[in-house]
Amino acid sequence: MSAAVPDRHGLGIDRPVRRRTLLLATVSGLVVAGLGARSAEAATDDELAYANFGLAAAYLAADYYAHALEADKLGADARRTLRSGRAASRSQARALSDLITGAGDTPAASEDFAFEWPAKAFDTAAATRATGLDVLRPTLGAYQSAVAAVSESSYRVLYASLVASLGQQVGALVGSVGERVETFPPALDLERASDALEGYLG
Amino acid sequence: MRQARHRVLALGLALVVAALAATDAGARSTATPPLTIYAAASLTEVFKALDPVQNYSFAGSNALETQIRNGAPADIFASAAPLNTQRLFKVGMVDKPVTFTANRLALIVPKSNPAGIKSIYDLRSKPVKLVVAGPAVPVGGYTLTVLKKMGLSGVLSKVVSRESDVKAVTGKVALGQADAGFVYVTDARPVSDQVTVVKIPAWAQPRVRYEIAVVSKSPNKTAAQAWINALLSAKGQTALKNAGFLPVPKTST
Repeated sequence: MSAAVPDRHGLGIDRPVRRRTLLLATVSGLVVAGLGARSAEAATDDELAYANFGLAAAYLAADYYAHALEADKLGADARRTLRSGRAASRSQARALSDLITGAGDTPAASEDFAFEWPAKAFDTAAATRATGLDVLRPTLGAYQSAVAAVSESSYRVLYASLVASLGQQVGALVGSVGERVETFPPALDLERASDALEGYLG
Repeated sequence: MRQARHRVLALGLALVVAALAATDAGARSTATPPLTIYAAASLTEVFKALDPVQNYSFAGSNALETQIRNGAPADIFASAAPLNTQRLFKVGMVDKPVTFTANRLALIVPKSNPAGIKSIYDLRSKPVKLVVAGPAVPVGGYTLTVLKKMGLSGVLSKVVSRESDVKAVTGKVALGQADAGFVYVTDARPVSDQVTVVKIPAWAQPRVRYEIAVVSKSPNKTAAQAWINALLSAKGQTALKNAGFLPVPKTST
């Protein structure tokens, strides 16, 4: 992998890396979707708690990407990355929704949330990236905890897939910031991850 | 001269009597009897403020459903959960229900907060006397949903009392008879000087929808439908919003 250098649109991801990111994000989204339907019945309350949180976070991430695309501050090349992120988020939402349904519960719909974005969240390229990291990193932190907490192996694979997908998305945004930022945030318990997103979830 | 004066006086009296009779008849024709409205306990304040002249019976929606099923003379049924109205609709006891508002759950603790609860997760780690509504009561069912979504069903072992409606839960916490209780956010408002609200995360919120319907055997169906229409109007929806209720998401209508 070559070092990330700012491209002409300022996203800071070189083209080979970006193509690979796009491909992997899409693939991990599909893997997540397949696992969700297969492993639903083995869910415990604790394991489902991560799924319920993750579902809301996936809807939030999809909304973030939609706003970022609409604001269009990251440049034309970044639109592909943003669209890929939005597709991965939707894929994750479907997988988690299937998992919750399979466990006999009613999953939340995106319409159940009134997402709230700070006034200047998408005003500039830097603000757009910072907002994305603010949303994606706590979710990634929670999934890292989930991998360690769940006992059922298929669930562990599911949450590991989500870690991979979120890691790619965070990596794309971190690379675009052009600063040395820790790509993988520390694992967060559900309470702290929930607190971190509460302002956005409404 | 005197005869003419008598005729004028008689005519005047006749006019006054006629006017009084007309006024009385008018009053009788426009005055409608108050409606009997069976409504979820959480609607107590907002319904009374919106229209104080009707006859209300506030209780847990499950109890009201049972009463209507047993022939209680209600004109309107407003439930805190679609389940109760839909069950009556399926057996033809109410007309088609409509969703008219939404709500959220909150954890409330007494102002003194003897258990030191600052987060819903504290219920897991601290010794608390928890009060909830019974599982058949809508708010009781919603409480179970919240706890399950958050992986906190284990805290149900700390329940010291299961109440018949949300006002009973609110009252026990407000009076300091329990350390914490699950209620609707709208129930915390009237006792905000006695309780502190601990927010439940948006991702763990249940889908709380209120439905309303005209009772099929109501002798006042036209007036009952007009009352529901008024509730669905901008004025009615504003009153609900001002009381802390939420608008109905588009997918629920």
